[in-house]
Amino acid sequence: MLEYINKIKEISTKLLEEKKVDMIVGFRKGSLPMMNEPCFAKNTEDIQSFVWDSNCGINLANYLTNRKEKIGIVAKGCDSRNIVTHIIENKINRDQLTIIGVPCKGMIDRKMISDMFDSEITEVTENNGKITVKGNGFDKTLEKTEVLQENCAICIHRNPVIYDELVAKEVEEQKDVDRYEDVRNIEAMSPEDKWKTFDDLLKTCIRCYACRNACPLCYCPTCFVDEAKPQWVGKSQDPTDTRTFHFLRAFHCAGRCTDCGACVRACPMGINVRAFTKKLEKDCFELFNWEAGLSIEERPPLDTFKPGDPDEFIK
Amino acid sequence: MEHMGVEPDRIQFSWISSAESTKFVNVVNEVTKTIKALGPNKNFVKRPVEETVSKVA
Amino acid sequence: MKVIKIDKTKWAEGLNKLRSDYQLIGPVKKDKYHDFQMLGKDQLPDVELLNTRMSPKSVVFPQSEVMLEYSLDETKEDHHIIKEVEKDASPRAVFGIRPCDAKALMLVKLNFDTSDYKDPYWIKAFEASTFIGMACDDPASTCFCTSTGCGPYNEEGLDVLMIDVGDHYLAKGITEKGEKLLKTAGWEDTSDDASLIESKKGEAEAKITSKVATENLKDKAILDLYEAPFWEDTAFSCLNCGTCTYVCPTCWCFDIQDETHGKKGIRMRNWDSCMFPLFTLHTTGHNPRETQIHRVRQRFMHKLKYFTDKYEKGIMCVGCGRCVRLCPVNIDIRTVCDKMNNYAASS
Repeated sequence: MLEYINKIKEISTKLLEEKKVDMIVGFRKGSLPMMNEPCFAKNTEDIQSFVWDSNCGINLANYLTNRKEKIGIVAKGCDSRNIVTHIIENKINRDQLTIIGVPCKGMIDRKMISDMFDSEITEVTENNGKITVKGNGFDKTLEKTEVLQENCAICIHRNPVIYDELVAKEVEEQKDVDRYEDVRNIEAMSPEDKWKTFDDLLKTCIRCYACRNACPLCYCPTCFVDEAKPQWVGKSQDPTDTRTFHFLRAFHCAGRCTDCGACVRACPMGINVRAFTKKLEKDCFELFNWEAGLSIEERPPLDTFKPGDPDEFIK
Repeated sequence: MEHMGVEPDRIQFSWISSAESTKFVNVVNEVTKTIKALGPNKNFVKRPVEETVSKVA
Repeated sequence: MKVIKIDKTKWAEGLNKLRSDYQLIGPVKKDKYHDFQMLGKDQLPDVELLNTRMSPKSVVFPQSEVMLEYSLDETKEDHHIIKEVEKDASPRAVFGIRPCDAKALMLVKLNFDTSDYKDPYWIKAFEASTFIGMACDDPASTCFCTSTGCGPYNEEGLDVLMIDVGDHYLAKGITEKGEKLLKTAGWEDTSDDASLIESKKGEAEAKITSKVATENLKDKAILDLYEAPFWEDTAFSCLNCGTCTYVCPTCWCFDIQDETHGKKGIRMRNWDSCMFPLFTLHTTGHNPRETQIHRVRQRFMHKLKYFTDKYEKGIMCVGCGRCVRLCPVNIDIRTVCDKMNNYAASS
């Protein structure tokens, strides 16, 4: 990881010194184990706090929306796909960006790891694919591959799809990954069981909107749940309103979601928010052979019409 | 909608030209029949707030 | 004050005795994490849990609370008349509340129970409740209550403070309400271990190593802090989600909404958050806190500066550490507080 960090710092310093960019967006070390904080650097001094490890799960494309500066941005595979989506949707110009691509072997699931231990984790370090977790009365080494965020474990685009600089050699992409087992399980259920599954999933939602706000796709100036004239959705803890929020948000991400997992990572209540978006991601793949954010040349299926588009659902 | 647990037959799409009056009648009758067979929709209907919002914590 | 000894073998029995006089509330596991909930028959509270994910503020200030109701049915005599909703004000006993969260209730009280304004809903629920606290012997690394005028054995806001001593609890009655509850439960064996409480308290306080300095906040000029350059850096990563405010035991802001279903309607209040743009949006369309940086600054300025100046009760934070642990992007109030406390305006 140290080579990655050094390379990120080296490229960032060069970009700032040559005045190619006004700021660099990256990560700095957080105040808790398994947490890094997105940050920006405008001078070489700020760059010194940049880090890279398996705790950079927040999607940095989220920090580009409508910015006017020239920006250097550190981007792993999923970030780069959301940068592509941002460019396609005119949320940022390609010319404004210098993308510092980071080949990624996945981010670790801090909730899963915390739940593995009864007492608090005070230190987490990583070395060569091993994660060492220390706390009061325990010291355990885990295989990184076994504690990956779920979306990382099934990721097939670990290398940035668009970049100007690359901090390391590309990593091998995962092959023959079954990406949709969880969606198929839900598809096989009866309507009642489906309903119940999502009811259970949302039982603890507090509607803090961390999932929405962590999502690079959710940049609407006014989200439909915040619209007051007219008001579409109630604001209480009513389960129908909560469900309306989650499903409509998912629909709104159809054909755009890169399954970066930022929503799940952000949720303070540990809700698997991806359960909503993934069905649409699967449908887009199966019906349109589409994976979001792979190319700035191609328009997404939901804003194009092709005579061959599937229409079996119209009777 | 189907995926989240609304019965598949509750939502139907048809393409009917303004000249296809017979198709329109048939579709409407067919849809009405299916929906009636399913009975009233229970899912995704907001219930009165008193039932859902707890009065104590 | 009397200290009562409760043998752990008599714990469930005492709780059961209370059930006829009180609704019991305590930390129980809900899905993945613990939360304060009404206890079912035979259900016991997990009082030895470090703390719940959400704070117990919802016991007196639910996230969604119906305040008034009305009918639009013109065949009814009282149609179009807004009426108060019948509230359950029967006694409740809240177990397992940690001293930080109990102190938070006292801070929230400053808002809901003033000489000018008395919030009937909050006060009714507060007065109906007896708070049985649990002293903390094993704090988390994110706990910093000793810096916020609180502490692991702090008694403010509590009616009873319980201390875990292995095979039994010591219960210190703090108020009459608390003494009454102990008596109702049949916990009456007095203990002469009062000195043990003091020594355990010292040990527990020493375990809290996370500290923040707040002593200079009061003397800083509001505008200096408001215009400080560090806000850009502090606010950058903020997603403007409501996590920090919703998990906070001291955040008290709410929004009032009407909802009508057919001919029946209600007026309710829901927690609101200064992190949301809608929080300050005027009907004209103007938003005085238009950007993310405005909102982040507001949250910290309110908690650490405006509140401190207005009430002279210290900062509006009890050091429970929930926002620190749960912020999706690791914005840490301790760091921000230090920045504010140490800030020297350049002019």
